[in-house]
Amino acid sequence: MCAMEPAELTRSTRCMRSISLAAVLAASFALGQAQKPPAEAPAEEKSTFAGTDTCQICHEDIVKAFAKNAHEVLETDPHKGFAGHACESCHGPGSQHAESADATLIRNPGKLNPAAADKICLDCHLNQPTHVGRLESSHAKNQIACTACHKVHSGEMAPRTAVKINAECAGCHASEWAEFQRPNHHKLPEGSMSCVDCHNPHGSIRPAMAQSFGANEPGCLNCHGDKRGPFTFEHAPMRFDGCTACHEPHGSANPRMLIRQEVRYVCLECHANTPTPLTLASPANRTIGVVPPSFHDLRSPQYQNCTVCHQKIHGSYVDRDLLK
Amino acid sequence: MKGFAFFFLACAAFPWTGKAQDQPAPAQAPAQTTSASAAPSPAPSTGSDWFSGWFEVGYRWDSGVGGSLETYRSFVNLGAGPKLLGTEFTITDPKHRLFDQINVRAYDWGDEPSETLHAGVKKKKWYELNADYRDFAYFDDLPSFADPLSSNGMFLDEQSFDTRRHLGSYSLDLLPGNWIVPYLAFERDADSGIGTDTFVSFPNEFPMPFTSADRTNLYRGGVRIEKRRFHVTLEQGGTTFSSSEEQFQSPSIPINYGNNPVPFFGQNIDLQSLAAAYGITGSSVYSKGLITVSAAPWLDFYGQYLFSEPQTKVNYVQDATGNLVVENQLLFYTSQGYLVSSAARLPHNSGSFGLEARPVKRVRIVENWLTDRLHEAGSAGSTNNLSSAGMSSVTAALLASSLMSNYNQNEANVLYDPWAKLSLRVGYRYVWGRAADDVLPAADLVSSDLAKMRSNVALVGFTYRPLQKLTVFGSGEFASSGGEYFRTSLYNYQKMTGKARYQATKTLNLSADFLLLNNHDPQPGVDYEFSSHQESLTLLWTPPKQGWDFEGSYTRATIYSNIGYLEPETLGPQTSLYRDNAHNASTLFHVKLGKPKGPAPQLTGGGSLFLSSGSRPTAYYQPLAKLSVPWGKRASLFAQWTYYGYGEAFYLYEGFRTHLVTVGLRFSPWGG
Repeated sequence: MCAMEPAELTRSTRCMRSISLAAVLAASFALGQAQKPPAEAPAEEKSTFAGTDTCQICHEDIVKAFAKNAHEVLETDPHKGFAGHACESCHGPGSQHAESADATLIRNPGKLNPAAADKICLDCHLNQPTHVGRLESSHAKNQIACTACHKVHSGEMAPRTAVKINAECAGCHASEWAEFQRPNHHKLPEGSMSCVDCHNPHGSIRPAMAQSFGANEPGCLNCHGDKRGPFTFEHAPMRFDGCTACHEPHGSANPRMLIRQEVRYVCLECHANTPTPLTLASPANRTIGVVPPSFHDLRSPQYQNCTVCHQKIHGSYVDRDLLK
Repeated sequence: MKGFAFFFLACAAFPWTGKAQDQPAPAQAPAQTTSASAAPSPAPSTGSDWFSGWFEVGYRWDSGVGGSLETYRSFVNLGAGPKLLGTEFTITDPKHRLFDQINVRAYDWGDEPSETLHAGVKKKKWYELNADYRDFAYFDDLPSFADPLSSNGMFLDEQSFDTRRHLGSYSLDLLPGNWIVPYLAFERDADSGIGTDTFVSFPNEFPMPFTSADRTNLYRGGVRIEKRRFHVTLEQGGTTFSSSEEQFQSPSIPINYGNNPVPFFGQNIDLQSLAAAYGITGSSVYSKGLITVSAAPWLDFYGQYLFSEPQTKVNYVQDATGNLVVENQLLFYTSQGYLVSSAARLPHNSGSFGLEARPVKRVRIVENWLTDRLHEAGSAGSTNNLSSAGMSSVTAALLASSLMSNYNQNEANVLYDPWAKLSLRVGYRYVWGRAADDVLPAADLVSSDLAKMRSNVALVGFTYRPLQKLTVFGSGEFASSGGEYFRTSLYNYQKMTGKARYQATKTLNLSADFLLLNNHDPQPGVDYEFSSHQESLTLLWTPPKQGWDFEGSYTRATIYSNIGYLEPETLGPQTSLYRDNAHNASTLFHVKLGKPKGPAPQLTGGGSLFLSSGSRPTAYYQPLAKLSVPWGKRASLFAQWTYYGYGEAFYLYEGFRTHLVTVGLRFSPWGG
């Protein structure tokens, strides 16, 4: 792909993109039209609703715990369509299972593959605001079932406190949790923040399932409101690459969670004074931030800490050089 | 808000009837939740059912901080004194009059670096009210950061701050029916404090104290329509924000000679007095719409759109006296009055659309597209009045700036389950965009930039569950790019992740994680090489009836980065190297010092360590030990010791060490 001329590449890729989208839509539509309604399992076809009281005879502990769960509303609210047989909202009609005590005669979401288990949850929860970004969720793409984080039967359906949320996430994301043990870190180990302060586990239109603040501003601005702007003179990476262009948000051995050990090295990665040779022939290969040679002599300690002078490095309202 | 917070905290201090809840784990590692749950088991409730709750209070001593107090406060910042370590309580109205339930949670109050409070009230079919408040000590004063004199042996931090940030979030959902939910919400983010930065007047910089404050209010309201086949959210919101900073040096204090003692054309550049301040006000209104549609049993659609247009106005004023100079005119002056006014407008459009189709039983097709478009326009006018004996010069200037960013992404994935234990995914992502940055008239460091971004990414993934006890995940991204915004942006990259979970026995859990990222930008003059990988191993062992459990994890991470630049003074080619080899381990074990079942003293020990070598060699140790002793059926006493030890090979003056000891009481008055 890189061997192509940029213009050709652009046309070709856009064309490919359009074709792929159209093909996906057409195939989905055609296949969907041809598809018969999904057949229920034979056992479920024959079964009828047994009712929660029947379930309770054998599964008393679960039914009692369920009474403290938010899903209890299914049991009591006739508008939800499962009043009196909430268990069967997920497990399907269970009369045959109740009569025979045969575990194969009832649907057990815990033994379905994640996609099938999720489908049961999404029958009701698909249209909730938190799931709008679900398509972009790497949890969904990697087949992490809803029940990996949510407990359907117990009182606390999802962890609520920062410590519990972090423990839940760290159960899978061990390496990310290790990053928080670095000296400069967001205060998750101290329990004052949780993973969901910055990430939306259900998905987000932002990379890494990052939370949004105030509609679609980066979630970082929820706490770092002073970096929000809009600045009259904006430091471009704030918009284009985001905070992670310079900071490691989980933790770093470097001051202020910077990606390099000294400020100047962070700056020099873009402000390198090196013209990009391809830029003259091909504007497509230009990058931002490469400035003309300046008066700074990096051998002088005075110029080795850029932010001493360029204090408003995130953006300035009054100074185009981001000095104040 | 403080009053609101203290009201709930005061409530928590009263001896309410109640039954025990899970103990909130103290801060440290997630493993401590295990510790929490291992606290004395709550006895059956003997009080009424309308109230349940617990609280935990304590007192902390510290041994004093050896080494850099500034670094300790930047990293840990836990102080001595009485603490409300946590409380949770629930009030239930059995008659469901004004509310069904009130839930309150509060943690870490008592001059702690982070204090949180959450309250939720709900009444079925009427309303749900949530209030969340957090208070952060926002302290950062690292001696190695932004110190122009550190190489001369003088350790002054000229970029530091000590502020307190208050975050409040309040929302009210009305529940008049089963399918329509009007809602209102308000969020506030405010910060104020002091710090140090520099006043810059070439060729010198002068360390200056400052006071600062900023505030952002977000108001939003809307309606959610929840029907079985579709869901629509329409929201209208607005923000107001302000920020201000003031620097002041009185003429009565000694002259500030700044960081650069070298005379400029024979004259010392110094500052005798300064009064500088800026104030910013801004506002934004936004409109947002979300829709999800389950069009058919095999087809779902998702979409959202947002438009916002923030605007700001700024005023800056500066009065300085001293011996100062305009560098390019060699114009020396003794007094300066500088005024700037500016305004900016920033319309922002953002939208996304997606679908998930399940055309046949084992196949899912997921397609999504998003765009984000921002166009900023700003202008500034300034007046600079310089004077000295017998001379006065007034200069006016106008500036205009613009920033444009278009970002687009399209991604399609096909997920196929060949059989129930295996799921495969293949996909393709195309990312493209254009960015431009201009300032007129062009001068100094800033001129005009233009860049295009174009990236093709192949996506793969799988989930394999050969046994109920074993799950393996893997995913990969392989990209080839034709343009990026920055020299260090992802260009030609490969990203791979792998995870494995194995429940070896009922009591033994093992997991392993792997992450690899290689990025290469081959363009001449950039030649950027970046590589990082991380491997983690985690073990959780909870033998039944043994009265002990253990959790341990080890992570190794490496970073390798090379990028070229030209030394500005000589334009000679240089390479910026960055290396980091880090080892991180954390463990926690719990031992019951008595019968495994029933109340008994419990000992908890462990902690974490971080060791790195490379560009910034660092060692950080945080061991801890905790003893918890039941005191009757409803209370337990505890004592906890924690040590923090930090050291750096290249910045010895930044190390610190301290011991913290906390003793306290956890109490569930009528029920635990």
